[in-house]
Amino acid sequence: MEINYKEGCALCDATWGEYWEEVEGKNRFFCCDICATAFKNLVTKVKAENAWPTIDSLEITGNNNSGRKCTATYDGKEYRFYIKFYNDGRIFDFHSI
Amino acid sequence: MRCPVCLAMMEEDSFHALGEHLVQEEQRSDGKHIMWLNRYIGIKKAGLDQVREKLEKLYSLDAGLKEWIIRRLVERIYGEPLHPFIVRMQHPDNKTIYGYVMEHHHFLGQWIRSCSAIISKTRVEEVQLFEIDNIVSEYRGIPPDTPSHHELLLRMGESIGVPRSTVYDTAPLPATIDSLNWWDRISKECDWVETMAAMHTLELTANPDIKKMGAKSTYFDSAVLNDPSYSAEVKQFLGEGYKADSGHSMVALDLVEKYCDPGKRRNVQSTVLKSVELLDNYLMARVERGESYGN
Repeated sequence: MEINYKEGCALCDATWGEYWEEVEGKNRFFCCDICATAFKNLVTKVKAENAWPTIDSLEITGNNNSGRKCTATYDGKEYRFYIKFYNDGRIFDFHSI
Repeated sequence: MRCPVCLAMMEEDSFHALGEHLVQEEQRSDGKHIMWLNRYIGIKKAGLDQVREKLEKLYSLDAGLKEWIIRRLVERIYGEPLHPFIVRMQHPDNKTIYGYVMEHHHFLGQWIRSCSAIISKTRVEEVQLFEIDNIVSEYRGIPPDTPSHHELLLRMGESIGVPRSTVYDTAPLPATIDSLNWWDRISKECDWVETMAAMHTLELTANPDIKKMGAKSTYFDSAVLNDPSYSAEVKQFLGEGYKADSGHSMVALDLVEKYCDPGKRRNVQSTVLKSVELLDNYLMARVERGESYGN
């Protein structure tokens, strides 16, 4: 799974901290465990919503305050969605856009 | 000075010391400190000098302590986008009212403990009298003619079919428990002026003049108070809270400004920053609880 944030945290692009966790077969950089939890919840939700076995690419914009607008792709298909998290990484709001 | 995340007291009262502490916590990838750095310093890792400069700017009291406190509350709860609970409160449905009642009952229990801690730690009579009045209006009332805010809350719950026994018997959600534990810790460990600032900043949330202070919205659309689709109990709770918090919050912040020793201002500011973060989480718990209405 390719993501748009190349240097910072896979969810929020922050370059503070250093927390690694494997998601979708790749060891990924996160600023903290809360972002890692949120990111995993996002991936699980997108796969479940679309009945996809995996995600080819994921583009995330926004932040935890505004919520995030994202685009996920798999096998030529595209899914655009909005997601906002509680401060502990659980999903607060999720809907397609 | 005090850390606005974990409330630890730095050995010296300087932004350099606080910056060092924040960077140390960042280096061990502590989520809470990193979230704070992301929000207040920026998402790109910065050196200690830059962190110190941004802290100085954040804590700058160009318009005075009271105005600084109001700004922090407004930007966190009433900025763009509005806090999800405030969005729901504009025309609250039964889910929102349910979440409000179930969590706020527990909040008010902590509220009077915090106010009592202020009373016990100060010898300033006008502060003690203010907090006594606050406890009476929020929790005791003057029966039978003047019910407390807590009693009006329970009646509001009953008006949507929630018995008060259910309110008492249901544990608060984890986010509420976490916030209440922190407010309890503030009341036990911090100076009374810090506690007063931390707690009464929260009352700004329901101040009817909040829009004049820069908020994008009021606590709720005042048309609710004349809307026949809402019960008398809902209107009474919201209306009385509006009246009470208008006076409470501003008088309290005036007292904070009056009695805050200049050497303790930064501690007060850190405690306020912590308290608005706790408020954010607590209001999210009200929203979360509302989702279980009718289950």
